[in-house]
Amino acid sequence: MKQVEIKLNISAVAPLLDVIKQAADDLRTTLAIRANFPEEDVEFIETWTQDLMAAQNSDVRALLGLFDAEFFEDGAISIDSNNCESLLRGCAALRIRIAHRWLHELPVELIEDEDASVADVPEDVRLPFATYTFLDQIQKIILEHLNPAVAE
Amino acid sequence: MTDSHASTAPKARPETTPQPQRSEVWRLVVLDDPNRMNYAVMVLRRVLGMEEARAIKHVLEVHETGRSVVWTGNREQAEAYMFALQQWHLTAIIQPHETG
Repeated sequence: MKQVEIKLNISAVAPLLDVIKQAADDLRTTLAIRANFPEEDVEFIETWTQDLMAAQNSDVRALLGLFDAEFFEDGAISIDSNNCESLLRGCAALRIRIAHRWLHELPVELIEDEDASVADVPEDVRLPFATYTFLDQIQKIILEHLNPAVAE
Repeated sequence: MTDSHASTAPKARPETTPQPQRSEVWRLVVLDDPNRMNYAVMVLRRVLGMEEARAIKHVLEVHETGRSVVWTGNREQAEAYMFALQQWHLTAIIQPHETG
């Protein structure tokens, strides 16, 4: 994919980063999706889990890296062929974790509704919901540029 | 796969562990999960090299029935695909292919 630069509103994104960081902390020791294993051997399961965890943490770090000191100067994040796959997976992991930790009491239809507004959810989960939606938008932009035929 | 860390399953299968009788043909099954459908379509295309129409058909099947058999073949490759799909945060399992 060609390099894509996205300009974001720093003051709007800053509070979302707090939620992202909390979810990222959870993901240091928890897989976003419960893993299934092809073997029952304990050593095999441990290796399988550790490899998934290492990959997950690498992807989440790539996403957190977008919001560095430079971001707080110009509000821009840059996506290219070198980081797009990590960012897609990082967004997926964080969205799943946010949904699991903060949004589990919301109706599934609301979470799946791409046009749902923050005003549709209870006040105490609006920030996580906004973060969930924000990550969804980043994922969608990457998918559109990665392969237009795949995007809706 | 174009990704450096999303293509191979862990290699730490202990040599001393007795292996049960195994089917020669295994099914790779994707189960329902919270990911967006267009994301899941992209993952199936990238990991399994599917055409778009086929990937969409599988994702719709997962959405409607909760599961879809996305690939069949030897166990080693099924494990590698399962691992790659889990790295993309799709829920995948492998099962021996029942015949007859």
